[in-house]
Amino acid sequence: MAVSLTIDNSALAPIAGRLVKRGGLAGADRVWALAFVTPYVGIFFAFVLYPVCYGLWLGSDPASYRQLLADPVYPSAIVNTLLYLLIAVNLKLFLALLLSGLFMRKGWRMKTLLLIFILPWAVPGIPTFISIHWMLNSQWGLINNAIWELFQTDGPPWLDNSTLALSSVIYAHIWKWLPFWTIIFLAGRMAIPRELYEAAEMDGASSFGRFIHITFPLLASLYLVCTLLSTIWALGDFNSVRFVSGGGPALSTHVLATLGIRNAFELGNPALGMATVLSALPLLIPLVMLLMRQLKKGEVQL
Amino acid sequence: MTQLSRRHAIAGIGALTAASTLKPRRAKAAEPVTVWWTQGFYQAENQAVIDAMAGWEKVSGTKVNLTIMNGPDLISKVIAAMQVGDVPDLIHAVTGDRFLVPRAAWDDKLIDLSDVIETQKDEFHQTALANSRFYNAALKQYSYYAVPIKCATLMEQTWRPMIEEAGFSDADIPKTQDAYFDFFQVVQDKLRSKGKRIYGLGYSMATKEADSGNLFHSFLVAYGGAGIVLPNGKLNIEDPAVRKAAVTALERLTTPYKKGYVPPGAINWGDVDNNNAFFARQIVMTPNATISIAVAQMEKPDQYYKQIITQGVPDGNDGKPVPSLVGVSPCLIPKGAKNVDGAKALLKAFIQPNNLNTYLKETRARFLPVTMSIIKNDPYWQDPSDPHRPIAVQAGLIKPTMPWWMTYNPAYSAVLSEQIWSQAEANITQKNMTPEQATEEASGRIKAIFERFQIA
Amino acid sequence: MSVASRARLDRRLVDASVAMVSVVLIIWTIVPLYNMVRVALQEKEDVFSNSVFPTTVTWHSFETAFRESYWLLANFWGQMGTSFYIGVSVAFLTLAIGTLTSFTISRMKIRRGWMLTNAALLTYMIPMSFLAIPFYSIMGKYGLTDNPLSVIAVEVTFATPYAIFIFKQYGASIPQELDEAARIDGASPPQIFFRIYLPLMAPALVAIGTYALLLSWNEYLYAFLLLSSDGNITVPVGLGKFLNSDEAPWNYLMAAAIIYALPPMAIYYAFRRKMNSGLTMGGVKG
Repeated sequence: MAVSLTIDNSALAPIAGRLVKRGGLAGADRVWALAFVTPYVGIFFAFVLYPVCYGLWLGSDPASYRQLLADPVYPSAIVNTLLYLLIAVNLKLFLALLLSGLFMRKGWRMKTLLLIFILPWAVPGIPTFISIHWMLNSQWGLINNAIWELFQTDGPPWLDNSTLALSSVIYAHIWKWLPFWTIIFLAGRMAIPRELYEAAEMDGASSFGRFIHITFPLLASLYLVCTLLSTIWALGDFNSVRFVSGGGPALSTHVLATLGIRNAFELGNPALGMATVLSALPLLIPLVMLLMRQLKKGEVQL
Repeated sequence: MTQLSRRHAIAGIGALTAASTLKPRRAKAAEPVTVWWTQGFYQAENQAVIDAMAGWEKVSGTKVNLTIMNGPDLISKVIAAMQVGDVPDLIHAVTGDRFLVPRAAWDDKLIDLSDVIETQKDEFHQTALANSRFYNAALKQYSYYAVPIKCATLMEQTWRPMIEEAGFSDADIPKTQDAYFDFFQVVQDKLRSKGKRIYGLGYSMATKEADSGNLFHSFLVAYGGAGIVLPNGKLNIEDPAVRKAAVTALERLTTPYKKGYVPPGAINWGDVDNNNAFFARQIVMTPNATISIAVAQMEKPDQYYKQIITQGVPDGNDGKPVPSLVGVSPCLIPKGAKNVDGAKALLKAFIQPNNLNTYLKETRARFLPVTMSIIKNDPYWQDPSDPHRPIAVQAGLIKPTMPWWMTYNPAYSAVLSEQIWSQAEANITQKNMTPEQATEEASGRIKAIFERFQIA
Repeated sequence: MSVASRARLDRRLVDASVAMVSVVLIIWTIVPLYNMVRVALQEKEDVFSNSVFPTTVTWHSFETAFRESYWLLANFWGQMGTSFYIGVSVAFLTLAIGTLTSFTISRMKIRRGWMLTNAALLTYMIPMSFLAIPFYSIMGKYGLTDNPLSVIAVEVTFATPYAIFIFKQYGASIPQELDEAARIDGASPPQIFFRIYLPLMAPALVAIGTYALLLSWNEYLYAFLLLSSDGNITVPVGLGKFLNSDEAPWNYLMAAAIIYALPPMAIYYAFRRKMNSGLTMGGVKG
C-alpha cells in the first residue's frame, strides 16, 4: 500500500497555508475542477446519500425497534458484535504491528515468507471461509481428523458450541485480514528514517527499547487510524460470520450485520433488518467522527 | 440460477405440447413472462423445468425468461423484490408455503389465483388445496394466493446395511413413534461396539431452514398437538393436550442429542447437511422432507434398490396412524407483475394433469403430485417394484393428511421463520432448560407473534 | 564471554526465534488453503473421509471445472467473465474517480475541498453490508436490476473513499513546485493531471487498483442480491449454488474456487515489485 508517515511537515506548512488562503480558482481552472469532482459528487449523491436516507427512512418505524428489543437473539448479537470488534480488530492489529517488524528483516527468506503470508488476502474470501467452515466441522473436518490421527480422540466441537464458534469466526477474520494490515504497518515502518535507529543504537538502546521509543511513538497515530478504520470495516463484515458459523449454533453467533440480513430476508421484514443495523449508529458515528478528526490533524499519513 | 438453455429445448417439447388446446390469445404473445424457479437438488429437477418452459414457449409463442435459484436464496430475493415492487411474473418457491406466501398474502402483495385454481379444483388433493388458501389482512378474507404444483411429507430414510450390521432386519424396525426412534439408539450402540463412528439418529436440530421444523412438528402431531392453531386462526397453545404434546416432542427430540445419539453438528445443519451426512454414512437414519436422498442415487441401482430404506413417519404410540403434515410447493404471482395474463396462462397449462405428470416424472418424482388422477391413471406412481415412490405416495396422499397451520393464520409462518421451536430445542441442549421451561418460553414468543396477526 | 561471541549468540537466538515464528506463520497461513486443495483433489465420495491427506489424488474435479462438465458448473467460464468484467471495471473506475477527486482536492485546492474528504469518510458511516436493503431498492429505481453495472456502482462507491484517502496522502509527497512550474509554462489542469500527477502516483495506483480488484473479487452479498440470471452472476454467487444440492459435489466447488483464486494471486505477484517500490517511495519521502 502507498503509505507514508510524515515525521515533520512543518517546513511545508507555510506554503500549504498560503495556497489554501489564496483559495478559489479562476476561469478555466474552475471549470476543470468542477468537471474533475463531478464523478465523485455524482456517486456520492446517487449511491451514498440516497441509499443512506432511504435506509434511515426504512428503519425509522418505532414498531421495528420494539420488535427488535423483544427478540432474544438481538442482545446476544450486540454482545457478539462488541466482542468481535474488540477482540478481532485489536488482536489482528497488534499481531500485524509485531509481524511488520519481522518483515523488516532483509534476505530472500523473508521475501518468500511474505509472498506466502500474503495469500489469505489475495485469495477470494468466500471459498476460503467455506473451506474454514469445513475444516472446523467436528465430524469430518481436517482439524478434528488430524486430532483423531494424532491423539485418537475427538477434537473440540468448533462450530457447535457458541464460544468456540465465535472464536472460530474471529480466527477466520484475523486469518483473512492480517496480511493487509501487516503491509500497512510495514510501509509505516519503512517510512521511519534509518538514522533514528542508528542514533539509538549508538546510544546503546536495546531492540525492545528502540521499538518503545522510536517505532511505537511514530506509528502510534497510524495505529489509531488503522484501528478506527478496521473497526468500521469489521462492523460491516458479513462474510466471515455468514460462511464460517452461519450465525449458529442456535443463532448464538450472529453479529448485527448478519442479523440484519436474516431479519430482512429470512424473516421477510426489511424494515426490521434496517432497524437492526441502524442500531449500530450510536457506535459508528463516534468512530467516524474520531476518524475524521484524527485525519484532519494531518499528522498521520496512511 | 441456470438460464434456460436452448440446447435442451428439443428434448422438452413433449412436456407442454399437450397444452396446445389451451393456447392463450396470440395478441399478447409478444410479451415475455419472467419466471423464478427453485433450483433442484440434482440436475434432472432443473432440466424438467427448463424443458417445460421451452415447451410452453413453443406452444404459446410467449418468451419465458427463466431464472433458477437455490431455495433460501430465491425466497430472500423474492422478499427483496416485493419490497421494491420490481417483481417477476411467476414464482415457484419450494418451502414458499411456509416462508413466503402466508405473510405475502397477509400483506396483500399477491395476486388472487382462485381463477387458476378453479380450472383444476376437482382434481386437486384436498390437503394441497387447503395449503394454498391464505388470509389477506387488507381484504379481511381467505382466498387462493398460491397454486399447488407438487407436495411432500416427511419421510424417513435408513441405511439397510447398517441395520443388518447391527444384527437386525427391516422387519425389526418398530412401527410406532417412541419405539421407532429408540430403535436407532440401540443400532448405534451395536455399531459403536464394533468400533464404528456412526450416529443412530441423523436429524437436524438447527435454527435455520426447514428440516428441523418439519421433524419437530411431526413429533408434535404424533404426540397429539395437531390443534396448536385452530381453523379459525386462533392460537390454542394453552390447551393442556397441545402443551403436553409440545413438551413431550421437545423432550423426545433433545434427549437422544444429549445422550450422543445425534451428531453434535446437527444443531448447525442446513437442509442439505443431513443428506450429506447420510451419504457419508455417518448416520443410520435421517428424516427428510422428500425422498430426494434415494432419488439422487437412482443411477446407482445397488443403493436405490437394495441399500436405502424409505418409510413414512411412524404411527402414534397407540398404534393409530398419525396424519402426515403435507407441505406444498406453490406457484405464485406477485402484485406488480408486468405480465399477469401470461403468467396465469402458463400456470393454467402447467397444472393440467398430463403436463404436471410429465414435469414431475422428469424430476424423478422427488415430489408428489397434487392431483389424485395422476396417481390413479399412471402406474408409475404406485409401481410396486420401486422401493421408495409408492411409499411416499402412501404417506403423502393416501393415508390421513393435514395442512400446515399457516393456512389458518400466517403468524405460524413467522413462528417457523423465527425458528421458535428449534430455539426451544437449543435452549434445552445448550442452556440446560427443562422441556417445560423451553415450552413456556416458546409459547410466550408464539403468543407475541400471534398478537401481530389478528384475524378479524 | 567476549563481546563478539556474545553478539554471535544473540544473533543465533534471534535467528532461531525468527525461524520458529516463520514456521508458525506458514502453517497458520497454509492450513485453510491446504484444506481447499485437499477437498479439490479427491473424488466426490471421499470428501467426507476421515483423512488428513487425500486418499487418492485426482485432477478430475479441475478437469470438470475447466470443461464445465458438471451441471452446477455449466456456465463457469461465463461467470468468470462477469467477475473479470466487474473486477476490472471497479478497479478502473475507482482509480479514475479517486485520482480525479484527490487531484482536485489537493492539487487544485478548490474551496471547501475538505467537505469532499469528509463526505468520502461519511460513506463509512454505515458499513457496506448494512446498506444491502436500500441498495436493492434504489437499483430497481435506477433500472439496474440484474445488471452487472449495479454491482460495479456499489463496489466503486465503497472503494473510492479509501482510494481518495490514500491518494491524498500519497500525493502530498509530490512537490507542489512541479505543478506551479508546469502552470507557468502554460499547462492546463488536465495536462498536469496526466503528465505529472498520474505518472508520479503510479505505485499508489497499483496498490489501490489491487485493493479495488480484490474488494470486487471478494464481494458476495451485493452480487448475490443484485444479480439473478445465469449470464450475469459472478463466480462467488455461482459457487453459492453448490451449498444447496443433494450430491455434495464439494470437490468441484473447491476446484472451481481455486481456479477463481488464481487471477488475483497472479495480479498480486505480477505487481508486487511495483507495490514494493510504492512502499519504498513512501519511505523515502519521509
